[in-house]
Amino acid sequence: MVKQLGNLLVAIIVAVTLIGCGKGKRELTFWVGGAPDEVDYLESLINHFSDSTGIKIRVVRQPTDSDQRRQELVISLQAKQPDPDVFLMDVIWIGQFQASGWLEPFDTYLAKDSMTTEPFFQRVVDLVDVYDDSVYALPVYVDGGLLYYRTDLLNKYGFATPPKTWGKLVDYAEKVQKAERQNDPEFDGFVWEGAQYEGLVCTFLEFTASNGGGIEENGLIALDRPQNIEALRFMQDLIHRYKVSPPNTYTEMKEEEVRRTFQRGDALFERNWPYAWKLHEADDSPVKGEVGISALPHFENHESASTLGGWHIGMSKYSDVKNEAWQVIRYMLSYGTQKKLVLNLGWNPGRRDLYDDPEVLKQLPHLAKLRDVFLHAVARPNLPYYTQVSAVIQRYVNNCLAAKIDPADALRQAQKEIDRVTADYQPQE
Amino acid sequence: MRRETIQAYLFNAPLIAFAGVLILVPVVGTLVTSLQRDITFAANKFIWFDNYVRLVSDPHFWQSVWFTLLFVAVSVTLEIVLGMVFALVLNETLPGRGLLRVAVLIPWAIPIAVSARVWELIYNYNFGVLNYLFTGLGFSGSPVNWLGSSAGAFTAIVIADVWKTTPFVTIILLAGLSAVPEDVQKQAMVDGTSAFQRFFRVTLPLVKPVLVVALLFRTIDAIRIFDLVYVLTGGGPGGATTSLSLYAYRFYLSGDFGYGSAVSVVVFLLAFVLALIYVRVGRFTEAVT
Repeated sequence: MVKQLGNLLVAIIVAVTLIGCGKGKRELTFWVGGAPDEVDYLESLINHFSDSTGIKIRVVRQPTDSDQRRQELVISLQAKQPDPDVFLMDVIWIGQFQASGWLEPFDTYLAKDSMTTEPFFQRVVDLVDVYDDSVYALPVYVDGGLLYYRTDLLNKYGFATPPKTWGKLVDYAEKVQKAERQNDPEFDGFVWEGAQYEGLVCTFLEFTASNGGGIEENGLIALDRPQNIEALRFMQDLIHRYKVSPPNTYTEMKEEEVRRTFQRGDALFERNWPYAWKLHEADDSPVKGEVGISALPHFENHESASTLGGWHIGMSKYSDVKNEAWQVIRYMLSYGTQKKLVLNLGWNPGRRDLYDDPEVLKQLPHLAKLRDVFLHAVARPNLPYYTQVSAVIQRYVNNCLAAKIDPADALRQAQKEIDRVTADYQPQE
Repeated sequence: MRRETIQAYLFNAPLIAFAGVLILVPVVGTLVTSLQRDITFAANKFIWFDNYVRLVSDPHFWQSVWFTLLFVAVSVTLEIVLGMVFALVLNETLPGRGLLRVAVLIPWAIPIAVSARVWELIYNYNFGVLNYLFTGLGFSGSPVNWLGSSAGAFTAIVIADVWKTTPFVTIILLAGLSAVPEDVQKQAMVDGTSAFQRFFRVTLPLVKPVLVVALLFRTIDAIRIFDLVYVLTGGGPGGATTSLSLYAYRFYLSGDFGYGSAVSVVVFLLAFVLALIYVRVGRFTEAVT
């Protein structure tokens, strides 16, 4: 009996030791979120990679909602957990993550594999991935604001091309909306993201930057400028004066609401991200085959602007399997993987070279236009405390769209509040 | 110490440990964090009350305080009054009472995030059922943007909350009502009181302890309102419906734990003070013992 117990004890010790050893060569975790079909596909890619390299990888599914994805990452990284090793970040988080010291720089890994950032959109990398000459992340998926339009309706009312300027857009929209409302009272000229959320900062940046303004000037937040006031007044006018954008623009219009309105056939123009293309062209879409895309319009004598979005891949400073983590990152950024992602999920690659790939262009001809848009992308401020800045902008711009405050007052007060935020977050000794 | 005293402490030890680990540690931890400059991208530093000084001069914080307090006042009042009415009705012997009781409980069984989504669809500008009825019945020629004004968004949140939590108040009060002895009611009837007098002089004093409990639960819950606002309005339009919890959450998300904790401490204090007032004014302990 005693001997049996002794044997059992030995067995337990051996088993525990073995599990302990297994822990030494622990598996790598890769946190990804997104729509269920996207995560399914990514998981199958990673499993395939895992089988061929022998690196043990666990794909952890994050929620679809980006705030919740961020919350999970912030909690783990702040607690210096070794998981996740690899994760995807929204462009606007990278400033905070980098400044918090959570990201492992890629430089030595890139050098070891004689790789450079050359294949990627240089502008994108410079805007969000590089800090003090070190690379902290690279783009897996690039996003930018676009103008979608109804080709059939433009033809019907005798407009040969989509509008190049905002003034023209209003002209087209007023005319078409008036006529179309005879049959469809819910028809709107132009739908865009105006609800109080991050997407509003993106559209605000596009309107202001296409008027020669913007959120930043010389690295400082500079909202209270005549170009910005003029652009914001125009945004307000779209709803209240020209009435080509519906009143729920500032309450309900987020990407999906905008997309659904356009896809139902209830709008002439739509400002949205590239993901809407695949859905507009799906077989069950009422507007299939009648959608065109172009760069967003601009104000007279200025240039079109598209807000940079997208997801970048990064490695945790606290990862205990960094070499393996780098191999996963390299795989995710390789030509082959990026091609699979764009062909199967429609993720616009972070690599420029794929926009010349004949197979990709054949299946997704609109990518040729996207490349030009991404080359002129403008970025939201790359500050560690960007979220606070964004919250102030969202609040004032949204209030202005609701016509509760004058554009000049809105931007003056927002600037004042942001100056205080900036002071609060300056480094202290 | 007497042996029994020691034993009593021993028996209580698990509960004390439980309360200490799960309640005291987080509360004190949040309090300590709120006295620090605790930002993920800056060095930690003890700054005493600087976060609170920042709070006082932050207009959006005050906007959140007023919204939260107004929300508590309006929604809890409505819930208590409606809950009392429902409980009184359900306490009568009516045909189909069992079915009615179940029906009233349904909203309480639905998770808040789900019911918030449902209300979001009801209020939707383009295809919401409210606008469908409104335009269909000819109240308005064009759809109404319900969530577009501060007052509209506030009302929408209150309605959704009242719908969801009145059942909770109803159950608690119903339990209280069923404990009111029938003899006392009958005696009052014999004494020739009106129904009105019976309610205020007999029923209400007898259910008061239960009423205070319902009030306490609802107030503390309402002060911390988060999910309903997060889903329904996201704090808009223009920040008019940002609750304190939602406001704190935004700071946690962006890595400013010190300031977020300071906001959370304010929520805690508000709930604490209101609870104290109820217990005092309601003479809660007296009523229970």
